[in-house]
Amino acid sequence: MARVKPEATHALERLMQALLVEIAPAVQPAYRQASVSIQAMLLLAIREEFDRAAARRVEENRALRALFADAAPAVTEAALGGRLAAAAASEDASLRVPELEAGNRALRALLIELHAHVESLAGPEARRIEAAIWRELSASTERRKLSLAPF
Amino acid sequence: MRPAVTDLESRLAAYLTARLPGARALEVSGLERIHGGASRETSRFVLRYEQDGRRIERRLILRRDPPGSLIETDRRVEFAAYRAFHGSAVPVPEALWLEEDPAPLDFPFFVMQELSGFESTVPKLLAPPYLEHRAKIGERKWTILGEIAKADPARLGLVGLMPPVALDQCWQRELAHWESVLDEDELEPQPITRAVIRWLRRHPPPPAQKLVVVHADYRTGNFLFDEAGEIRAILDWEMAHLGDPLEDLAWGLGAVWQWSRDGLAGSLLPKAEAIRIWEQASGLRADPSALLWWELFSCVKGQGIWVSGGREFQHGANQDPVLCMSSWMMGNSQDRAALALLGWLA
Repeated sequence: MARVKPEATHALERLMQALLVEIAPAVQPAYRQASVSIQAMLLLAIREEFDRAAARRVEENRALRALFADAAPAVTEAALGGRLAAAAASEDASLRVPELEAGNRALRALLIELHAHVESLAGPEARRIEAAIWRELSASTERRKLSLAPF
Repeated sequence: MRPAVTDLESRLAAYLTARLPGARALEVSGLERIHGGASRETSRFVLRYEQDGRRIERRLILRRDPPGSLIETDRRVEFAAYRAFHGSAVPVPEALWLEEDPAPLDFPFFVMQELSGFESTVPKLLAPPYLEHRAKIGERKWTILGEIAKADPARLGLVGLMPPVALDQCWQRELAHWESVLDEDELEPQPITRAVIRWLRRHPPPPAQKLVVVHADYRTGNFLFDEAGEIRAILDWEMAHLGDPLEDLAWGLGAVWQWSRDGLAGSLLPKAEAIRIWEQASGLRADPSALLWWELFSCVKGQGIWVSGGREFQHGANQDPVLCMSSWMMGNSQDRAALALLGWLA
């Protein structure tokens, strides 16, 4: 067995198990017990997020910038086209999650504008870009999927 | 800081003493918080008193407005819905007292009958002895929903308390409401939900077949069932309103309620079977394109609920961890459900 120090993900798993197996059964009343179980589920979700937090944001920000670069020439609103081109040329300044997240929110807000604009355009190029947007949106839900989720 | 339970028991006893003038030696005990609904703190308690020489004991439920919740609703409407359907083909507990003055218990509340000995949770449903009765529970679930759609809101005395709406305006009112919830409460951009809203506006549904009482959270988890597969009560009427009957049908069919992960609507029945049962019970038709519209609308509404709960948690109005979990997990599931309906889920 490899000699490694306890990782954060391992610690979170152990905390979740302790809450579910050792603590929750001893808690009363039932409402508090259920609440502890939900906190254990939250720890499992945090464990999944901890592992992928930076990776999924870096991946998504890159995908969105590539999408903007591809779509910008087809955009008929000059101001929007300019902002898409600027966003496409931007980079993540840091790998810290809060900064990646701030960048991601700005890019996703711009994606909404692009999507609405492309929907208003006719022609196969608009439909191609629209399909690319939907594919990226589908991928975005895969990146965020949690193992406990029903769907 | 909310009052301690014992203090709440004595204040509740004082309130009920005033509401039951013939009662003597009234006492409240066993007040205990339970899970129940998304918008009210729910507790069970035992009420004992003497009246006309008899000792009376009643097991009751206290539904009290919380400081923050998944959804903001009118407790008067919820109370009226329970009263309207009590004793009908739609099983509900008896609603007893409504208090909108926050003075007695710090927040508005109402009291209703507790139906004990039954289950409501999905984990219970998906384990013996209930698991083998899923089909029967599903048959009852969508039959009762058909009964709700059959009921005349005017005869129930709910028109007025629930604002009426023209048949061709049902969809616009609901969509505008939930879009405004998103505008107000979202903590991050929602590109999928925003795209769905645009789609819904481009593809309006036909007018409602009739104006009905919409329960508005008719899903597995919001009813009590027994070991024989019978549904004993429909709960959580906090979002009830007048509207299109397809709104309720679509909401309960949502993929986000497929906790059993076997593709069964509400973890109970195949979707087509649920629709067939509802059509037979309601006497209405679920036009596929109209139903699709309401299923997609359900994704917008669901996202509105998850976003609002996340905001309450983030801003400290309500620290219930279920709000955080719902915001993370259900929000993404809701997006995936919308993508699946539109044919874009990879």
